[in-house]
Amino acid sequence: MVEVNDTLSGPVLIIGAGVAGMTAAIELADSDIKTILVEKKQTIGGNALELYKAFPTDDCFYCFEGSRFRPGIRKCFYRSAMLDNPNIDLRTNTRVDEITGNPGNFKVKLTTGPMYVDPKRCIMCGLCLKRSGAFSLISPQCQPQAVFYDPSLAEESVKEIEKECPTKAINLNAQSTEEQVEVSDIILATGYTEMRPVNMDEYGYGKYPNVITQLELARMLDPNGESAGALIRPSDGAPVKRVMMVQCVGSRDENYNLYCSKICCVFALKHANIIVNERNGIKTTVVYMDIRTYDRHERYYREARESGVRFVRGRVHLVRPNPDGSLDIIVYDSLLDRYLSYNIDLFVLSTALEPSEEDETLQRTLGLNTSSGFVAPLDLANDSVVAGDHVYVCGAAMGPAEVPESVTQARAVVSKILQGRQ
Amino acid sequence: MAETKESAEPPTILVDPIDMSKLDQSFCNEIKSMPYGEELVACFACTTCTAACPIANQWDYKPHQLIRMIILGMREEVLSSKEIWECLTCFQCQERCPQKVRVTDIFFDCKNLAAEEGKVPNSIVALGKLLLETGQLYEVTEDWQREDLDLEPEVPGLATEPLKEILKTTRTGRLVGSDE
Repeated sequence: MVEVNDTLSGPVLIIGAGVAGMTAAIELADSDIKTILVEKKQTIGGNALELYKAFPTDDCFYCFEGSRFRPGIRKCFYRSAMLDNPNIDLRTNTRVDEITGNPGNFKVKLTTGPMYVDPKRCIMCGLCLKRSGAFSLISPQCQPQAVFYDPSLAEESVKEIEKECPTKAINLNAQSTEEQVEVSDIILATGYTEMRPVNMDEYGYGKYPNVITQLELARMLDPNGESAGALIRPSDGAPVKRVMMVQCVGSRDENYNLYCSKICCVFALKHANIIVNERNGIKTTVVYMDIRTYDRHERYYREARESGVRFVRGRVHLVRPNPDGSLDIIVYDSLLDRYLSYNIDLFVLSTALEPSEEDETLQRTLGLNTSSGFVAPLDLANDSVVAGDHVYVCGAAMGPAEVPESVTQARAVVSKILQGRQ
Repeated sequence: MAETKESAEPPTILVDPIDMSKLDQSFCNEIKSMPYGEELVACFACTTCTAACPIANQWDYKPHQLIRMIILGMREEVLSSKEIWECLTCFQCQERCPQKVRVTDIFFDCKNLAAEEGKVPNSIVALGKLLLETGQLYEVTEDWQREDLDLEPEVPGLATEPLKEILKTTRTGRLVGSDE
């Protein structure tokens, strides 16, 4: 007779509702295991939310993640499966404050909010968006569907808007709430953060508005984004005619991150291909030291060359702004042993993918192994998703990962938890 | 190609960059459209061609650099380079290229373009002249030497006259002719 044990029936806490966290949540829920899915942002989706097309299939991300075998719920996958699933307790705008207790019986303090906009009431009518810049839409496809309120941008008018909201969804006096939950297992799915290279003088990021990162470019390319997919200069809104990308910014650089961020070559070339194939007449040059389109992603590299993307092996010598808003960039071409001078409109940095900011605290609290700031599994060879006793890790929390990889790892975690409960 | 700008400040750039806006961006497509040029842009600069080349150690521009220069649009430098004419046409680079770039054939395309513009080295023109005048590039071995080798004194069937006639009407004829 097997003893009934809390560790076999308690809910699972999943930290991070990106690709990996959502997959783990939905698959555990399908196996009738209760989950608490915690997301610090107001919307689920993680970094992938802002991708126009995700590699390796170039699908819109929303049609992509783990939902293919669920007919009829593609774009509404999140609403139907994440928000209304009785086994998923989704908590957006929530942070993990403290973890105590023992493996199998963790006590976790969660802080939620303040919830200025009640997502259950918000009908996305857009009234507040029109009236004040303090209200914004993170993404038209955000889930739960609700506008976002930033109190640091508050104006006089926000009080009136609060009163005028037709569904009374806005509460400007909202306070954050705390709650302690007891969980048997913890899944870390905290993902990655894109590095913002403000300290790297040679690229001028943060100094010149037309120097942006790849995720910022992805948002610009997204037809749902502010510019409706048009490539424009952030400085003056002028159409972009020439783009330059540079790889390995802060990756493979022992002054910043010694590892290869693994997926930036692929998504940089994915973006380069979108630009030359779908935004007519824009010339794109990629400056690189090694192109690492590993595995089957080599096709992006081949496609890029055939589509007319130009590649220069070397590094950037200097970036100099012009009065007309364009940038002069001198590149050292190490194959020719010559310097090349370009005039471009948009300079896109493929910056390192770094651990999320809260990772360090979580890793320390749970006593996990780490590697370059990411979670390192206990046994890389045999159990790559087990980070500790009743602690699991999946997706980019372990290091930069592509979407299918994150999904596979999340499923491996689910499989581990299910095995433990048999 | 040097970029010089009038400025009151001391120069901040001591390198001498190639101004990309002054290069011929159509050159890459021009070569691409020529016979065997279509795989040109498949080059990913692995330098296999240079590794394979038996004489690139003597070249200022290595084979992979010439390919990069074509893609970048350095028309002038490529078409007036000595390297395209020094190519032995052993086809090693082309045989080994992992991206199926027809390197040797592309150098032939470059030679043809250079010839169209009259950019042919004197040594090559001299060879053309020899061909036009004698109908052959190499003198036939002397009679007595042929005898020592047990060969007939005359090369059987050797007829250089028709070749000379034909060559007069070709580009070789025009090149040599214009030089005179």
